[in-house]
Amino acid sequence: MDKDKQLDLLQGTLDMLILKAVSLGPFHGYGILLRIQQISKGRLEIQQGSLYPALYRLEDQGWIASEWGESENNRKAKYYRLTAEGKRRLQTETENWNRMAHVIAGILRTTPEEV
Amino acid sequence: MWRRLHSWLRATHRSAVERDMHAELRFHVEAYAEDLVRAGVPRQEALRRARLEFGGIEQIKEQCRETRGMTVLQSLGQDLQLAIRMLRKNPAFLILAVLTLALGIGANSAIFSVVDAILLRPLPYPEPNRLVRLWESYPARGFFRNVVNPINFLDWRDNSKSFQDMAAIVGSSNNLNANGQPVAVPGLRVSPEFFTILEIPPVLGRTFVPEDGIAGRDHVVMLSYELWQSRFAGDPAVLDQKMGIDGLPYTIVGVMPRGFSFPKTKAEIWTPLPLARTEEWNSGRYLTTLARLKPGVTLEQARQDMARVASIAAEARPDFNKGWSAEVFPMLDDVTESISRPLWVLLAAVGLLLLIACANVANLILMRGAGRLREMAVRSALGASRRRLIQQLLVESLLLSVAGMAAGLLFAQFGLHSLLALIPRGAPLPRSEPITIDGRVLLFAFLASLGTAVLFGLVPALRLSRVDLQDALKQGTARGGVGGHQTLRRCFVVAEMALALLLSVGAGLMLRSFTRLTAVDPGFQPEHLLTLHVALAPSRYENDLKRSAYFERLLTEIRAIPGVRAAGSTHFLPLTETMSGSCFASGDGPKPTPAESPSSQFLIVSSSYFAAMGTPILQGRDFGQHDNFNAQPVAIVNHAFVDHYFSGQNPLVKRLWVCWDIDKPVEIIGVVADARQTDLEAAPEPTIFLSNAQAPMYFATIVVRTQGGDPGQIAHSTEDAIHRVDPDQAVSEVRTMQTVFSDSVASPRFEAILLGVFAALAVALAIIGIYGVVSYSVTQRTNEIGIRVALGARSSDISHMVLREALVLAAIALLLGFVASFALSRVLESLLFEVKPTDPFTLASVGCIIVAVSVLAALLPARRATRVEPTVALRYE
Repeated sequence: MDKDKQLDLLQGTLDMLILKAVSLGPFHGYGILLRIQQISKGRLEIQQGSLYPALYRLEDQGWIASEWGESENNRKAKYYRLTAEGKRRLQTETENWNRMAHVIAGILRTTPEEV
Repeated sequence: MWRRLHSWLRATHRSAVERDMHAELRFHVEAYAEDLVRAGVPRQEALRRARLEFGGIEQIKEQCRETRGMTVLQSLGQDLQLAIRMLRKNPAFLILAVLTLALGIGANSAIFSVVDAILLRPLPYPEPNRLVRLWESYPARGFFRNVVNPINFLDWRDNSKSFQDMAAIVGSSNNLNANGQPVAVPGLRVSPEFFTILEIPPVLGRTFVPEDGIAGRDHVVMLSYELWQSRFAGDPAVLDQKMGIDGLPYTIVGVMPRGFSFPKTKAEIWTPLPLARTEEWNSGRYLTTLARLKPGVTLEQARQDMARVASIAAEARPDFNKGWSAEVFPMLDDVTESISRPLWVLLAAVGLLLLIACANVANLILMRGAGRLREMAVRSALGASRRRLIQQLLVESLLLSVAGMAAGLLFAQFGLHSLLALIPRGAPLPRSEPITIDGRVLLFAFLASLGTAVLFGLVPALRLSRVDLQDALKQGTARGGVGGHQTLRRCFVVAEMALALLLSVGAGLMLRSFTRLTAVDPGFQPEHLLTLHVALAPSRYENDLKRSAYFERLLTEIRAIPGVRAAGSTHFLPLTETMSGSCFASGDGPKPTPAESPSSQFLIVSSSYFAAMGTPILQGRDFGQHDNFNAQPVAIVNHAFVDHYFSGQNPLVKRLWVCWDIDKPVEIIGVVADARQTDLEAAPEPTIFLSNAQAPMYFATIVVRTQGGDPGQIAHSTEDAIHRVDPDQAVSEVRTMQTVFSDSVASPRFEAILLGVFAALAVALAIIGIYGVVSYSVTQRTNEIGIRVALGARSSDISHMVLREALVLAAIALLLGFVASFALSRVLESLLFEVKPTDPFTLASVGCIIVAVSVLAALLPARRATRVEPTVALRYE
């Protein structure tokens, strides 16, 4: 299996990735994208534009907040940061994900004798 | 204002949110591009790649908008702006759609305002649902609302347990003196409980107390607010003053508030009606009653209670009450009983009209929508979801229907005015509250227009929003992919025509019934006839002799006026829905009793009454000079009476006992032709006429036949003649008999005219509908027609082809419409006179009209089709 091949994002996981990215510090949208690509070492395929509806949704739900600030090259950019509520959300999402991954992995590992 | 709204909407559109979103996305693309430049990509190429990888900016914006809460308000604002722009681009569509809707909503609002004011609004008294009216009933003869005998009323009041209070009323005409001139003022004599039952307090003084209902202490009067203002200039000092009524002093004890009235009565003064168990009240039924149920008592309980009470009364006085029982009706139902069905029918009719209007507008939208497929496709390509497209289309519909409502309310205002003008003036309406376009009607119009918008907007919206992107964009012409719409539009048109047919059948039936009704021979000649009402004061004309002498002098004086051919009097004028009845028996047997003997209609008329009315005397003679008090009492009977009781015998030798104030048998001296009495519809019934000289009433209507011309011209000289005989005697209801005749058919005329107007509008809308569909299908088939012409089809073949489409639609509509009108035939049955709801003549003519108008509507497009040039048509593709 080619480990470097880009993977399509699983349904619903983009939100989690965004939350994780902004938990590392405030970023603008492009920065979030870069950060996710950086952490995933470029193995996740994210359509750039699709980031924004997700950002707006998360902000609408109160998990992230935004404000305008200066970017590294002195331009106005909108920065997102995690709210307290978002922090809790990220925690439960992470736990759920780990539990789910564990269960699914367990199922997939099952050999005929064990059934 | 338009412009302002527009710029406001634009401001909303470019709100901070939008600006921020735009800046944010742009920042992303540019930042990425810069990174690419830094990595060595040329600037132009970098920007291009950044945009490409980012994805469709507009699509993403749309998705962002949707994820935010802003969708509802802001997108509505956007849609509104878009809708206004779209509608302004297409004024012909706008005007046609708004006018159609205005017609539908306007007609509905006008009729609803009448239905609401008369049928739906609670009566203007506290806790009106506890108010009832009580009637005597004689189920075996089909009487369920008969006026009540006073002694029975007192028995009911003593024995019933369901009512808090019970009151009796009787109308009265009172002679008042105004600036030396006697005037007749309508009033009500009411038992004192009347005001306690209605629970309306006076604005001044008090209402009646039980002592006012005792004979001898009853010379007190309550004034209406209007009379108080006009006669006493609203002076509060009128209390305890004396006021002369019929020449007797009455003490003013109170004034009722402005607008106070009792349904179906006109009264400016109220005086007590003293009731006691005396001989005087023993016979005759003439009281109207009202009562208030005790709290918690149901109508059903009250009915059972009254049935029990009436059976006690029947046992106590079997000779008078055998076979009689009692009925209880809610007051609102009771006073609107005769008018509620016609009003509901009219409301249903305008409802159908609105449906037709909806179908028409839906078709307009579909037709226009065909040209908008590209717009829809582009919007959907730019990321608008289907929900969003539907929303936009519905906002357009809403805007149309709100505009339609605004214009419709203007129509309604105008329509209501002409509608109310059809109601005869001075008619005692079931409700006295004014009929206007008020808040409730506005609310109704608003809800109707909302419902309408959904009704005509939803189907086209669902249909148009289902765009096949590829198809629509590829085709590029306005004609793309709308075959399905045309089927839908045909369905709408068939529905429209079927509904128009249904309305036309209703209108046709009412019109035919009305024609039949007015063609009825009333049995008298209403032309050149003046009528006047005279009500004598019992205080001044206390005995029969004085009354008969008065009427004799009066008629002699009137007959002497130049231009008068004949004059007479009757106590109930024909066609005024009034009649009296009583019992009689053969003069050779024992005296009759009300319970056992046959009953007949009774009228008290003077000599020359028949001559004045133009009713021929068939046999024997008229009442004459010698038939006075001292002479043998005499009677005249009508042809129906002879037919029914003396068939094949000579009536002129018969004598009758009559249950009237005559204590020996009367001799039949003449037979007159039949005439309609209560109204034009009711066939003449057996009638006994007694002489006003031998059994005079306190009131009479004088009828005066002139030698020609407008009988109104002698009104003054006749009134003068009456005042010469008695200067204090008031005259009222001065009308020509033709007015009486015309007023008597006001209600069927009202229904026929309104239904006729609605049907005409419905047919007009249907014509527009057919025209639209057929002409659209000609446009669509231009190509095919061109080929046919090129292959040698003659122009008659082409026009037949087009007309066939219209005829097929008409045929389906005819079938559906007739099925519906058969199904609904029972609704109209009771409103029709001598016409069956399935009247073949009406059905056939309406069917012909519908087919004719369909052909008419298709003629224009058919002509256009025949002019198609094959070369042009083929290039069209």
